[in-house]
Amino acid sequence: MSIFCLGVNHKTSPLEIRERLAFAEKTLPESLREILEVEEIEETVVLSTCNRVEVYGASEFSERAMDQLSSFLVGHFDVDGHEVDFYRHESEAAAQHLFEVASGLDSMVLGETEIFGQVKKAYKTALEAGVTGRRMNKLFQQSFSIGKLVRNNSKIQHGSTSIGSVAVDVAEKIFGDLKGCGVMIIGAGEMSRTTAQSLVSRGASGIIVSNRSFDKAVELADTLKGRAMRFDDWESALSEVDILIGSTAAPHPVIKADAIEKHMKHRRGRPLFLIDIAVPRDIEEEIRGINNAFLFNIDQLTQIAKDGQERRQEQIIFCRKLIAEHLEEKGIGALKSIPDNGKGPRSIDPNRPITNP
Amino acid sequence: MDLIFLILSTLVFLGGFVFSVTTLRSGKYHPGYTNLILIGVGFLFQCGFLYLRGQLHGRCPITDGAEVLVFIAWSLAIMYFGLGRAFRLSLVGAFTEPILVILHLAALILNLANPVVARPLDSMDPWLEMHAAMSLLAYGAFALAAISGVMFLIQNRQLKSGSPGKLSFNLPPIQYLTDALVRLVGIGLLLLTIGVVSAFFMDKAPSRLHLSVSGGVWFLYLAVLSYHLIKRPPAKWLSIASLIAFAFALLTLSVI
Repeated sequence: MSIFCLGVNHKTSPLEIRERLAFAEKTLPESLREILEVEEIEETVVLSTCNRVEVYGASEFSERAMDQLSSFLVGHFDVDGHEVDFYRHESEAAAQHLFEVASGLDSMVLGETEIFGQVKKAYKTALEAGVTGRRMNKLFQQSFSIGKLVRNNSKIQHGSTSIGSVAVDVAEKIFGDLKGCGVMIIGAGEMSRTTAQSLVSRGASGIIVSNRSFDKAVELADTLKGRAMRFDDWESALSEVDILIGSTAAPHPVIKADAIEKHMKHRRGRPLFLIDIAVPRDIEEEIRGINNAFLFNIDQLTQIAKDGQERRQEQIIFCRKLIAEHLEEKGIGALKSIPDNGKGPRSIDPNRPITNP
Repeated sequence: MDLIFLILSTLVFLGGFVFSVTTLRSGKYHPGYTNLILIGVGFLFQCGFLYLRGQLHGRCPITDGAEVLVFIAWSLAIMYFGLGRAFRLSLVGAFTEPILVILHLAALILNLANPVVARPLDSMDPWLEMHAAMSLLAYGAFALAAISGVMFLIQNRQLKSGSPGKLSFNLPPIQYLTDALVRLVGIGLLLLTIGVVSAFFMDKAPSRLHLSVSGGVWFLYLAVLSYHLIKRPPAKWLSIASLIAFAFALLTLSVI
């Protein structure tokens, strides 16, 4: 009996394919039982996220099981078989792949933690649907241990890798806790929305959106549960905010050093964080010289994010070594050595709690 | 035995500093309990030193320059433990340790130059003890305020540059450093006020020079704090002012 993995992910298939192959959360237990009825498949777990659709399974004849599964998926999702190029992993390679997935090494944003929860959820759904057996149980329990081991012993999660997360990190280095920090967005672009959302997710509040087109400001303010303001009035609301995001399409700076210098005198020592994500720049560079005003432009934020990505990239080899060491110690051998007691997945108690890794 | 305690304490603080510097340089530094534990161990050795000296003199062990320096270092460690948890676990420990080492090394040199002898008082004067102890505890708070000032200036520079490095992400936030600075100067001023007021009740009045110098330090910190609270200048001003004020306070020690 061997384990296998068949699937597509963000590296091998475009979004158009992945979205057609995605399993609906509601009907997943039913789909799992259908997969189990595919010839040669004895156990299964489906991991379906926005970046991947993977079917893990156990079979006496993995190669044949994957052929059958591939045909099943093409039919199930009504896709052209030539459009989809499933990758296949068997035995140690399948286990290694799952361990890397659970550790965030195969994620679009390297080291992200959401995938760990998604793997746990996928296993729990399969367990409750009664489609897992000793091999899948052992494999996934190991993946949880390894996911935790890699995160605790490496720097794969360290550093910010997106403009939004860099903005949050810098804001926290200025204010500490972002609770109660007011945010003003000048220019209602997509980038300013995601940056503001990152700040709001960490406690920032009192969002004010100002834009030349007032309708767009209202639209963005509604999305962020903030309030819109006429473009000519933004300076009057400066005292209410601690973080100012500039992202207009103006050909010249709209946030002038004179205005900020005048305003800083009334802040009673409270810092002001200015984020300029516009090109051409929205915020005058001279502001950098004003005490307690901290200005970051798009290049600086991008560079910090790039450094974070590079640092995470450097960690991949170390993480793979950790996984290899773990496998050597406890290993895939343990998966192989499980005697086939002839009992299929239905021998597993679906109410059995998942071991906390 | 007292000197062994002092040497052990110095070595532990030095070890903590070396550990912080090497881990920072290699990028392996994580905010954690290592510095807190090391300063705790060093503090216990400090207590051992001061206890033995207290037993020897039969009074508060601040009878010579070496003991005064160790007492200030001891006060600095106490103030460090009194900081908030997040603040204590950041790089504050790494910045505090070299100051502790410098104070201890100076104390060790003074000890070697002037072998210790028992200096009991003919009669105990609790106001004298209060004056000395409170004043030196205040110096501990002022020392930590100066350390926070240095950390603020580094953090401010890193963030102003637009490319904060590893150091920045291990330093406390600008706002926390500002709050800590104000709090420490305030605590130091309160302790020093108690110390100065106690001097007026002492059996033997202190010399005019001693009183003038103590009053000068007190007035300087009062001016710094008042200006900050009333005018609210940028925190950079408070950081620099607390550094200058502490340098002045240290210089006055030789007179006192």
